[in-house]
Amino acid sequence: MTPRFRLVKKGVIMNQEVKIYSTPACPYCKMAKEFLSKKGVPFTAYDVKSDKDALKEMKKISGGALRVPVILVCNEVMVGFDRSRLEQALSCLKQSSKIE
Amino acid sequence: MASVTIYTTDGCPFCAKAKSFLAEKGISYEEIEVRPESSDWKEMKEKAGSGSLPQILIGDEPVGGYSDLVHLEASGELSQKLGLAEKGEVAPLYDVIIIGGGPAGLSAAIYAARKVLKTLLVSRDIGGQVAWTYDVDNYMGFSQVETADLIAKFEEHVEKYNVEKLVGVEVKALKLTGKIKKVITNDGKQYLAKTVIIAAGKRPRPLNVPGEKELIGMGVTYCSTCDAPLFADLDVAVMGGGNSALEAVIDLMKVARKVYMVSLTPITGDEIIRDKVMSSPKVEIFTKYKILRIEGKSAVEGIEIESLETGEKKRLNVQGVIVEIGLLPNSELVMDTVETNRIGEIVVDSKCHTGVSGVFACGDVTDVPYKQIIVAAGEGAKAALSAYDYIIKQR
Repeated sequence: MTPRFRLVKKGVIMNQEVKIYSTPACPYCKMAKEFLSKKGVPFTAYDVKSDKDALKEMKKISGGALRVPVILVCNEVMVGFDRSRLEQALSCLKQSSKIE
Repeated sequence: MASVTIYTTDGCPFCAKAKSFLAEKGISYEEIEVRPESSDWKEMKEKAGSGSLPQILIGDEPVGGYSDLVHLEASGELSQKLGLAEKGEVAPLYDVIIIGGGPAGLSAAIYAARKVLKTLLVSRDIGGQVAWTYDVDNYMGFSQVETADLIAKFEEHVEKYNVEKLVGVEVKALKLTGKIKKVITNDGKQYLAKTVIIAAGKRPRPLNVPGEKELIGMGVTYCSTCDAPLFADLDVAVMGGGNSALEAVIDLMKVARKVYMVSLTPITGDEIIRDKVMSSPKVEIFTKYKILRIEGKSAVEGIEIESLETGEKKRLNVQGVIVEIGLLPNSELVMDTVETNRIGEIVVDSKCHTGVSGVFACGDVTDVPYKQIIVAAGEGAKAALSAYDYIIKQR
């Protein structure tokens, strides 16, 4: 599988590939973001309450999900925050960038 | 692992030593108490080739008494005989396994670790039901805090101690009646402990209608705080007639096109919020109606409801179904083992004891009144201290 992000320098991942769509009052979204931060994984966060384009995009990539957070890692779209699943999904970043 | 049988008799010190030796190693056993010269004793003598007590059998093979057991362990043969290839494969024996990672479970973990108990916390997630609200205004030391921050604080606190954590793992089965408790997780692994603290909390009560499970996340949701903004310009139905349902309606009134409220009972809840809902032109209320099904292939397209009074059926075109019909305690796995009340909560005494020795419970899964974070945290502390007392008395 071709890595879908660029290595800028060794050990640094471009943040293009992890995206999180959330609403401001959603504790699970915040927990998911904190989980990613703790793991040192850069990500782009979208507030779908105020950003209607992001909401459209979120629905598009998730096949119409009406639940947050929606998390995109490499090619995988996850609806809801499931730590073990997210952790597994993150391994695609590790493999491609050789970051431990 | 091969089964272990131990023949014992009352007042026999080496029997007690052999049992605690097995328990310390995390080896479960079946105990048969015999009286010398009784028929059980004769049967034992025949199987074991000796009439002294205790006698230990691994599978059908007699291995002798307590000193033989110690000798086998020292030579490494015990693991072989038990069918464990390596000596190290004997599962560790925890002092306490805590099931649940909400305020009760996390508080129990801190108290257990501070008593230097070997502690394992198993939980599907961290935070429990706290994570269903956005902020908290009534926890000591925090006049106002976002729940995600509060949970992170709890977790950080636990991380200061030597607590093993298995997060993202679900418990599939529990064996609580023996002296050594077994916790079996959905990945097929088995964990052993002297005590178990059940702090498994509650979960949203599902509607149990066709279409519900299939459409979770595709219009069906149990967290209106999180998901209400996603229903902008859509038609939605809120199921339920209490305060939580009313609050969901309020959230949705701001964004949705049309909000239906469907309740089995008349609308209860606080008057202020009820009036606000009832006076909104966006809201249409169906009381004494039940939901029959949720329709839609890949997303919610509508629901069918039926009047409890006339039997009249209606179809509502909605793209969202918000379920707010209360909570269910996560006590299914222990229903047959511990006492539960009418609504499935585990009955505990003032020290968090369940009826089963070595098994404690705390937090929202129990019948303790007032489901509050601070109450759950306090109960968690009590459960851990009770587990500690229990372990001390066993020594």
